[in-house]
Amino acid sequence: MRITHTMLQNNMLNNLFKSQAQMEKYFTQIYTGKKISRPSDDPVIAMKGMGYRTQVTEVEQFRRNALDAWNWMDHSDDVLDKATKAVQRMEYLAVQAANGSYSEDERISVMKEVEQLQEQLVELANTKVNGKYIFNGTNTDKPPINPTPDENGKYHVTFGDGDGLDEIFPVQIEISKGIKIPINVSPEGIFDQELFDNINGFINALKNDDNVAEGEATIDDSIEALNKSMLNIVNGRAELGARMNRVELIEDRLAEQEIIAKDTMMKNEGVDFEEAVTNLLTQEVIHRAALSAGAKIIQPSLIDFLR
Amino acid sequence: MSTFQGLELARKALFAQQGALYTTGHNIANVNTYGYSRQRVNFETTTPFPNPSRGMPNRAGQMGTGVEIGTIQRLRDQFLDFQFRTENSTLGYWEKKQEAVTRMEQVLNEPSENGLAKTMDRFWQSLQDLADNPDNSGARSVVAHRGLALAETFNHLSKSMQSIQSDLKDQIDVSVKDMNSLLKQINELNKQIQKVEPHGMLANDLYDERDRLIDKLSDYMNIKVHRTPSSESSLEIADGLVSIEILDSRGNSLSPDGVFLIDARSGKDLDSAVNEISVQPGANEKGPITSVSIAGQELENLDILKSDGSFSALIESYGYEENGVVKGLYPEMLAELDKMAREFANEFNRVHHGGKHLEEDNDGNGSKFFVNKANQEDNDYKNSTDRDESITAENITINIDILENENLIAAGDPDKGSQNGDNAHALADVFDQSLDGLGNTSARKFYASLIGDLGVKGQEARKMKESTEIIQAQIDFSRMSVSAVSLDEEISNLIKFQHAYNAAARNMTAIDEMIDRIINQLGLVGR
Repeated sequence: MRITHTMLQNNMLNNLFKSQAQMEKYFTQIYTGKKISRPSDDPVIAMKGMGYRTQVTEVEQFRRNALDAWNWMDHSDDVLDKATKAVQRMEYLAVQAANGSYSEDERISVMKEVEQLQEQLVELANTKVNGKYIFNGTNTDKPPINPTPDENGKYHVTFGDGDGLDEIFPVQIEISKGIKIPINVSPEGIFDQELFDNINGFINALKNDDNVAEGEATIDDSIEALNKSMLNIVNGRAELGARMNRVELIEDRLAEQEIIAKDTMMKNEGVDFEEAVTNLLTQEVIHRAALSAGAKIIQPSLIDFLR
Repeated sequence: MSTFQGLELARKALFAQQGALYTTGHNIANVNTYGYSRQRVNFETTTPFPNPSRGMPNRAGQMGTGVEIGTIQRLRDQFLDFQFRTENSTLGYWEKKQEAVTRMEQVLNEPSENGLAKTMDRFWQSLQDLADNPDNSGARSVVAHRGLALAETFNHLSKSMQSIQSDLKDQIDVSVKDMNSLLKQINELNKQIQKVEPHGMLANDLYDERDRLIDKLSDYMNIKVHRTPSSESSLEIADGLVSIEILDSRGNSLSPDGVFLIDARSGKDLDSAVNEISVQPGANEKGPITSVSIAGQELENLDILKSDGSFSALIESYGYEENGVVKGLYPEMLAELDKMAREFANEFNRVHHGGKHLEEDNDGNGSKFFVNKANQEDNDYKNSTDRDESITAENITINIDILENENLIAAGDPDKGSQNGDNAHALADVFDQSLDGLGNTSARKFYASLIGDLGVKGQEARKMKESTEIIQAQIDFSRMSVSAVSLDEEISNLIKFQHAYNAAARNMTAIDEMIDRIINQLGLVGR
């Protein structure tokens, strides 16, 4: 084959361009940290990359949701703890007051304390976190209990709009794909009519020095009733504790998932730096060799050797 | 035999070698001229003496009378030209195709932290936050603005692609102009060649120029060059006139009679030999290409698309209408994005309708979340629960009422308490919901597969371009092997012809001395 200088030169240039294009590719890989810079570089990586990105976003979001869940549940737990203590205190007072040696005055002062505890329970039930009532289901803008002194100045509570507790809907938070967990504690069975009836019965018994009318609770009755109320609260708390455990488990799993998802994403589209740097260095050596060979090959012609 | 024959012979040799030296000089001068083919002087011996005839002198054998330049021929392989042009049109096709896909990839910008997929993810996140805090006006406002960002991303993609599309149309118009100008130039050269060849000469430099133009033309489509002798008195080795026919990618004629861009087969009427190309719609007009005509004659079924080349790649990328259906890379992608925007928006609106917002002066049902820009002022439209088929990626936007009052976002389930966020969950689920209109995939997956398809197209275009590039370069290499000027060769020729010239001069000196002997030094006996 006849080879001319122009051909050699063109060939050399073509090859230099190709080698430079390769270098550019490895450079881009190194400074973007990605194997591909557009879908056509590798459609499969690109498509998977989009899926993994969504996955990472989702896991991050679920972890954020879990934080919100903790906020509710921790506060609810704290409130239930305090409510338990308040009812426990009432029960203790009832046991003391049942002791026949208590004078009327003493019973009245016990009554005063119970009234305070009752108010405290109302405040606990109406706890607001982040501006939300946490014991009224999704009706976070309304207090579950409305304290209203009646005409005798007697302390009364009404529930919801006045005719019993509002219907309670669970506050759901999605903490994993498709898994929604209720994070609220329903006031039903805890801060309900029964609790306040029991307290009012106790107050009534104390006020009348245990000489109550037929059908009204005596102090002894109150001990039992308050004990039941306390158990209700404890049960509610136990149930909440079980849910908290579940959130904790899921959260642990999410933390792992986040690492795995990010890792998968990196493995999918991230560049292997050792490989990219080695490739770049190899390419550089090739490029230098091509330059030096090119410089030699395009130099001499017959003219250089004629006199 | 003439006394001075020897002088004549030497003179002819001097002239011939001089001609060869000049041709060598021409070759050297044009070593860097693109498309130049080296030229060679074909020496021929002149008619020997004597000629057989009645009065011929009686002598033994014919005697040579020297040399003359027969022809000056360019060295070129037409078969390689043919191969080169076939590959060149394929290369042109894939180059333009790849360019179009690459520009689309740049606009879509996936996978990245700024693409449509990420914008959707961010919108989804804001809905999750809203579900956690339905009473929080901050969370609501974020939903409204991220929804707007999603709509604006759709708008941006649509607009950017349309502007690339109109750029492609400009390229089509420029290509048509350029092709027609090339055809005219080729035809002009045909005319000039027709004036030169009948004199028994070879118009080497005009041939080169013409081949250069045909090479350029072959970038646009697959063409075949037919050759016709320019006249009866032209040399056998003359290139003659060229006619140019469009071939499909398999090398077949487009019609039984062939579609000719230049028809000089008759060798006559060269003034009307050019058949100009035109497209409908014409320059500066929009809309998909409906027809391509040659000399006003419409090509059937847009046959030009069968002839791979940058022209067909441009039309395929820009969009064309076939049997009333608009096809092409850009129109199809735009249609897919429109479909995605429409289906997603309608499903999102449907779920939004079912929810409850925070404003009381309303029946509690959500209005449309995404709307068509044109209907932004129409309250009946915005509150109706009908599907809106007019939403496209270009006109989608968020209901301005929601943007102005984020309480109108229907985050709650009407039956589940005053501040529930259940409908926000349902809205977030729309992203992964299979939608009928998208062929039973979710919007997210639909988009990912769009990107995947585009990637595959781009990858194919690049690979094809790269492999065709190699083939084309190899053929060009072979072509240059035949035609390119080698300086070493020319220098050695230079020496060869110089020696021949010197020797011829020496020959003349010898003859001169011979004659000198006869004229000046004979017959001096006894002087």
